[in-house]
Amino acid sequence: MSVDKDETQQRLKAAVHYTVGRLCQRMGEDHRREFSRQVIAAIAETAFRQCDVFAKDLEAFARHAKRSTVSSEDVKLVARRSTALSIYIQNKSEELNQEQRDLKKKNAGKRKSRDTEESRE
Amino acid sequence: MTNPYAERQISHSVENMAEKDAEIGFKKETVSKLLSSSFKEDKTRLSGDAALLMAELLKVFVQEAAVRSQKQAESEDCDQVDIEHFEKILPQLLLDF
Repeated sequence: MSVDKDETQQRLKAAVHYTVGRLCQRMGEDHRREFSRQVIAAIAETAFRQCDVFAKDLEAFARHAKRSTVSSEDVKLVARRSTALSIYIQNKSEELNQEQRDLKKKNAGKRKSRDTEESRE
Repeated sequence: MTNPYAERQISHSVENMAEKDAEIGFKKETVSKLLSSSFKEDKTRLSGDAALLMAELLKVFVQEAAVRSQKQAESEDCDQVDIEHFEKILPQLLLDF
């Protein structure tokens, strides 16, 4: 059983490493200062470990609010230490809410026109 | 208690985000699995929105690590970013997050 767990963790680590590599490559090109492979691996490892810290905090915040599902409110708390980061996450959260509101309106509109058509028959 | 130096740096990273790096990022599913694997209780779940926001947060974290390492390399007149540069900026990075 624990072999599967290790495999999953390895795969997740690899996925993180991949994205970190791409981000670093982009930034290396943009600022014309590239990263050694060792640094990319180190950043990936750090990000991976930081996720554990974030996850435990998120779980604690959700539980404190008597929820079992971690919400965007919990994420906003995790981002509280830096004002710029906090504002950025809040804005992203607003964007997501807006998208969902737009989607709901779109679907409600579709349903209304469907209803009026049916009532005519 | 916030570090003003860190403030300026993270805001720089965040401002540049919108323009070019829209495409590269962490997948919602990866982030979800990653965080869930660290939850202590089985019943703890992650909402879709929270997963998306955490993907953004992680991206900023990585970009901060990268840009601070680059600045450190620059201050030492190095063409390439090496492990010593990353090691020097790591403590403050962790404190700022």
